[in-house]
Amino acid sequence: MIEAEPGHEPLPVGEDEFRMIADSAPVAVWVTRLDRTRSFVNRAYVEFLGVPYDEALAFDWRRIIHPEDAARVLAQSVAGEASLETFDLEGRYRNARGEWRWLHSTSSPRRDAQGRHIGFIGVAHDVTEAKEAELALRDREAQLSAFIAQSTAGFAQVDLEGHFTLVNDRFCEIAGWSRDELMGMRMLEITHPDDRDRNRPLFERAVAVGTPYTHEKRYIRKDGSIVWVNNSVSVIRRPDGEPFGVLAVTLDVTRRREAEARLRKSEESLRLATESAGMASWELDLETLEGEWSPNRFDLLGMERRADSRGSFDDWIERVHPEDREMVRTAAQRCLRTGRPYTIEYRVCRADNREERWLQSHGSRIDYEGKRPSRFVGVSFDITDRKRAEDELRESEARFRTIFEQANDFLVTTTLDQVITSVNPAVVAALGYAEDEIVGAKIGDFMDPDQLAVAMAAFEHKLREGGTTRLSVTVRARDGRPLIWEVNSRLTADAEGNPTGLHAIGRDVTEAKRAEAHLRLLVDELNHRVKNTLAIVQGIAQQSFKGAVDPATARRAFEGRLAALSEAHNLLTREHWGAVSMKQIIGDAVAPHGDAARFTIGGPDLPILPKTAISLALAMHELSTNAVKHGALSQPEGHVAIRWTCVEREGRTRLALTWEERGGPKVTTPTRRGFGTRMIERGLAAELGGAVVIDFRPEGLVCTVDAPLPEGAE
Amino acid sequence: MNTWRGLRVLVVEDEPVVAMCLEDILDGLGCEPVGPVGRVAEGLALAERENLGAAILDINLAGERSTPIAEALRRRGVPFAFASGYGTAPEGFETWPLIEKPYREADIDAALKALLG
Repeated sequence: MIEAEPGHEPLPVGEDEFRMIADSAPVAVWVTRLDRTRSFVNRAYVEFLGVPYDEALAFDWRRIIHPEDAARVLAQSVAGEASLETFDLEGRYRNARGEWRWLHSTSSPRRDAQGRHIGFIGVAHDVTEAKEAELALRDREAQLSAFIAQSTAGFAQVDLEGHFTLVNDRFCEIAGWSRDELMGMRMLEITHPDDRDRNRPLFERAVAVGTPYTHEKRYIRKDGSIVWVNNSVSVIRRPDGEPFGVLAVTLDVTRRREAEARLRKSEESLRLATESAGMASWELDLETLEGEWSPNRFDLLGMERRADSRGSFDDWIERVHPEDREMVRTAAQRCLRTGRPYTIEYRVCRADNREERWLQSHGSRIDYEGKRPSRFVGVSFDITDRKRAEDELRESEARFRTIFEQANDFLVTTTLDQVITSVNPAVVAALGYAEDEIVGAKIGDFMDPDQLAVAMAAFEHKLREGGTTRLSVTVRARDGRPLIWEVNSRLTADAEGNPTGLHAIGRDVTEAKRAEAHLRLLVDELNHRVKNTLAIVQGIAQQSFKGAVDPATARRAFEGRLAALSEAHNLLTREHWGAVSMKQIIGDAVAPHGDAARFTIGGPDLPILPKTAISLALAMHELSTNAVKHGALSQPEGHVAIRWTCVEREGRTRLALTWEERGGPKVTTPTRRGFGTRMIERGLAAELGGAVVIDFRPEGLVCTVDAPLPEGAE
Repeated sequence: MNTWRGLRVLVVEDEPVVAMCLEDILDGLGCEPVGPVGRVAEGLALAERENLGAAILDINLAGERSTPIAEALRRRGVPFAFASGYGTAPEGFETWPLIEKPYREADIDAALKALLG
């Protein structure tokens, strides 16, 4: 407490103020030794951890890194320390309240006077959000007393010429000379030559006018070493008031001076470290709003550095972007008025090139106990890059969000446990579930077990081999409809390449698959029909050329039968191989064999199946050719009536059809039954599942069909 | 060509012209065709009732499969071959001979040899 005695010169402003600034700033600052133990951490550091200062010094900060950041941060930290260069880390850390905060730290190497690496100095600022700084003064006096407390005062008395006349033991001890030696010496003789010019006028004035003074100077001891002393000097007078000597109360302040020197060095390196981390500081007098700026604060604002390092509140405000000026001024003035610290982000226009930059500033008011005026202190960082990165991220996110929302494809993200974390509107629309019914569910909730197995096999493959898989899976919509999706998916990974989840892009191929299946059926069906038709043609050919028939006749018969088959196919093709009209089939089959007037065709228009239609057509063709050759159509007035009805018999509807010829030559029963007869009596009968009889009546051939109603006609 | 004289062969074929063709081929080989029939029910009745040496079964019969007839023949120990324009033997009969349509006399002869030889 001795330095604080009235009349003593206060410590030079600087190191402790700097410590206070470091403590007041909402950035964590720490100093490590070569062995990585910390020799200093600031208040923000301690508060973040929420442990006592001593524990904070020894705190293992690896414990509070977010698990997702830990591996990366630790690896970067190790690499950074090994590099012996300034390095940056960024990650989430859990603060004392259990909240995760994003911290950006910069560590700079410390070096001693010989340039040897002696550890790191680091600063970390909270980049999660502006954090209000909490200020508290350290007990400065207690801090300083650590340097000097043990001292007790020495006393020395000199005459008006400066000869020692009286010294106490403590003074001898401090000054490093024996009492006897001192008694023959003058005060200035043991004073350091560099301090004499300053000392002499003070002494002479004290003798002449009686002005007491306090100063600090160096003595040179007998052994040549130097001791710093703090001397409180006053004139001693006789009772009549005549001065006869001068008394000095001497304190050894060497240790304190050394501590100060160390602090100054520490301050220098701390300042360098913080400046290398882009942290500029200021410290203004509250009355004048002027004071000292760190050199890089000028740089930050694009201003010329000033020799006296002095800047003002107005210098700063002038550089603030006009649109932000009101906000900035309001925050600062409230701090000046109420002492409430602030953190703001604002734009400045650099003085040199008018460039617009973003700054973040933390300002606070330091109030001292006693008479010292309060000061306005703070730090600023350039956050332009962060802001731009944020803007770009926002734009990029918006762009991807738009794609995500508007894509017709299905976009799905899941965790590694197949829990769906997001889906786009296309998925919601396709599945028919609400988005919140899908997100949080597992993919297995929308797939049958066999399909889930397919998806999981692909997933395992990606885990093993990486890359992208493409597969078709069937998913279930809410209404149970199976949807076939073709899905491309890949794993997402963190910075270290560890898988974190799954991205899938799908497309509905249900229709495409259905069309493909339909096409395959068509091809199969076509093949079937072609083979079937070839078999029929083979049969017709075999029947036409069988036996001892005249080749020309056989060929004509074959051609006629093929034409009938072809005609029937034409109709079937027109009707897309569905049911066809019985009237149409019969009409087409008989038409090549005579004018329409020679036929009477009548009956209900029953639909019949293609296969039946072909047999019926071939049968009608055979009857017609027979009629043309031997029957009614061989005579000009011959006529054929084809009639059919549906009759009820034994509770069932049956088809009754007759082919009746009139006006032809007298009919005789043929001796040989050819293909035509066989085709009609056996083939058509088998086809219809009924009885077909040809009656060779003399007045005209009559063919009767009695069969169940043909399939397709019911 | 009289190798199969008197062999009673069931003909199950629903296309009349094709059935006639098969009948004629069998006739030419000396066989005695039984049928032809074009429906499963009719074929089944003959398969269970008739004294048969062999059978040729069209797989598709107006939309039905001839499998029940095949099963009846197998129960009775009657050798048979399937016939189809396009396709494979029904499930459970993969090892049975398959004659591809259109029918050719040589194919029928070979199938009968495979069944009875």
